[in-house]
Amino acid sequence: MTDTVDQRALTRGQLLSAYRMMRTIREFEERVHAEFATGEIPGFVHLYAGEEASAVGVCRNLDDRDTIASTHRGHGHCIAKGVDIGEMMAEIYGRKTGSCHGKGGSMHIADLSKGMLGANGIVGGGPPLICGTALAAKIKGTGGVSVAFFGDGASNQGTTLESMNLASVWNLPAIFVAENNGYAETTSSTWSVASDNIADRAAGFGMPGVVVDGFDFFAVHEAASEAIARAREGGGPTLLEMKFTRYFGHFEGDQQTYRADEVEHARAELDCLRRFAARTTETGELTRSDLDAIDAEVAAMIDRAVTEAKAAPPPAEADLLTDVYVRY
Amino acid sequence: MGEAIVGVVANPLSGRDIRRLTTRASVFPTAEKANMIQRMLTAFGAVGVHRVLLSTDLGGISAAVFRATGQRRAQDGRWPEVEFLNGQPIRQTAQDTVDAVRRMVAAGVRVIICLGGDGTARVTASAAGDVPMLALSTGTNNAFPAVREATIAGLAAGLVATGAVPADGVVTRAKVLEVRVGDRAETALIDVAVSAQRHVGARAVWDPATLTQLFCAFAEPDVIGLSSILGQLSPVARHEPHGVTARLAPEAAAQVLAPIAPGLVMPVGVREIERMRPGSVHRVDARAGVIAVDGERELTFEPGERPTVRLRADGPRCVDISAVLAASARLGLLRRPSPAPGPVPVARTDR
Repeated sequence: MTDTVDQRALTRGQLLSAYRMMRTIREFEERVHAEFATGEIPGFVHLYAGEEASAVGVCRNLDDRDTIASTHRGHGHCIAKGVDIGEMMAEIYGRKTGSCHGKGGSMHIADLSKGMLGANGIVGGGPPLICGTALAAKIKGTGGVSVAFFGDGASNQGTTLESMNLASVWNLPAIFVAENNGYAETTSSTWSVASDNIADRAAGFGMPGVVVDGFDFFAVHEAASEAIARAREGGGPTLLEMKFTRYFGHFEGDQQTYRADEVEHARAELDCLRRFAARTTETGELTRSDLDAIDAEVAAMIDRAVTEAKAAPPPAEADLLTDVYVRY
Repeated sequence: MGEAIVGVVANPLSGRDIRRLTTRASVFPTAEKANMIQRMLTAFGAVGVHRVLLSTDLGGISAAVFRATGQRRAQDGRWPEVEFLNGQPIRQTAQDTVDAVRRMVAAGVRVIICLGGDGTARVTASAAGDVPMLALSTGTNNAFPAVREATIAGLAAGLVATGAVPADGVVTRAKVLEVRVGDRAETALIDVAVSAQRHVGARAVWDPATLTQLFCAFAEPDVIGLSSILGQLSPVARHEPHGVTARLAPEAAAQVLAPIAPGLVMPVGVREIERMRPGSVHRVDARAGVIAVDGERELTFEPGERPTVRLRADGPRCVDISAVLAASARLGLLRRPSPAPGPVPVARTDR
């Protein structure tokens, strides 16, 4: 509360880095969308485009002490927490050079060295994990905070609700980020979520619940910064609900017969990158050429990641039984 | 005098912003908003309102009322006909409130009740024109809406809508502050604050050190929000014609302890308190920043834009709940048997 204006404002470097992160996620996802159509990528992919402000606005407040757990729609969270782009792309292509040596694929990208506990094919699988890492941080006194991203579908899962209860009872440095993109696969959250605002459920667990415009980087960053600072200081868990839309289907190949014009509307009127660019150039904090330069660098980086992934070898037969068991 | 129609608009997102986190502001559950509307419907039915137009939302309020309309039992008393304003896209922004209020005005409602905080009241007022409004608190910062029982508010709105209580003396015109930044304009019902922050961000204002200037349509000593800064130093009542403005600076010699938001009592430095006359135009000093209307960051401005603030006397017409029910007592409108023939058809008198 005693921060001065200058301390709270984001520096030019922080703004550039936030834009680079959001642009990287967008470019990554647009490219995977295009490449998936060629049939070269095995398995399923669930794309995060449209939701970038959430991953980046939250993770810009985190450091090496902190951990995150993700969802089946995990690419954005991985990138925002610093997982290597080349290794991610290789993992999606099922190559030996991937983050999990090509044996996990899109839904299991993990990098514990970056505090990224993993994308997760289990809906509601992340929240229990962060109760564990948050408890560890609390007991060790590292000052670390753990964040679980989950969707509106997972907000109805017992695992999520139990985790929020546990986090509150144990007063854990845990942040629950409900990414409400309107649909659990194809089921509208206005139908399936009885409380309608997921944030409202926080009251039942004795923690604050806040609804945030998930398309607005500045709104997300500010809310997450308050919640994370509070958790670090021993103030306990918070539930943040991001409201937005995903730009692609539930998975690549989803015909999306359950929705009409909302994606066009969101891309034209609400898009986080457009709004960020418009706002920061209007204030003079950044220039169009700053942003154009980042766009070009990011496009080249993603292009390189795709080329290298395609050229990399798949896991060999001998790799079948490695990494299956862990010795403690 | 034609059909007695009341419009009810409820904001599904009021009471959900970052102030739950920063200051432990109250949570207003969706179920309670829906219950309040149902209690109002009972009051409307009792005083002879014919029809109610209700806003629709994706937050579950209109859905809960819709379910309740199908579950009424004979002994529950008469409700007016409820018409749900559906058929328009719901964007989950303030525009939904504007659209609903415009449809209510076009349909000839006699009173509009809005459920929300200061933000919802401000948006409703901007679209209500000359239709009297009654703002009921279900939000965070409630300087403008009344914290009153919905049944009582429903009786008051119903008595005005049916014409049983004439509007003269019970409906008063509020002041309004008009902010202009280039070709953009906003209105505020209570206060306009200039902040040195650069972005709208999470909207709420909770750090007074960022504020440089404050304009108040009224500043009452017992009201929550930014107007409380001047409420203790230079009070101005809602019914007085003038307003008040000041410059704010953390290092100012004059300091006041002010409840600037629910859960926040902060020292604020104040200098150069000045009266605002209706119609006079005041300039914003800062070169760039954000303007908050009724406590929420809304408009950004850049060097060269020179925003202005003007106090206007022609704000929304507001129903005074206490005055309506006092008039009703004087006229004996709720006595049974009714002392005078009135335009009030009553459904039930036996309970």
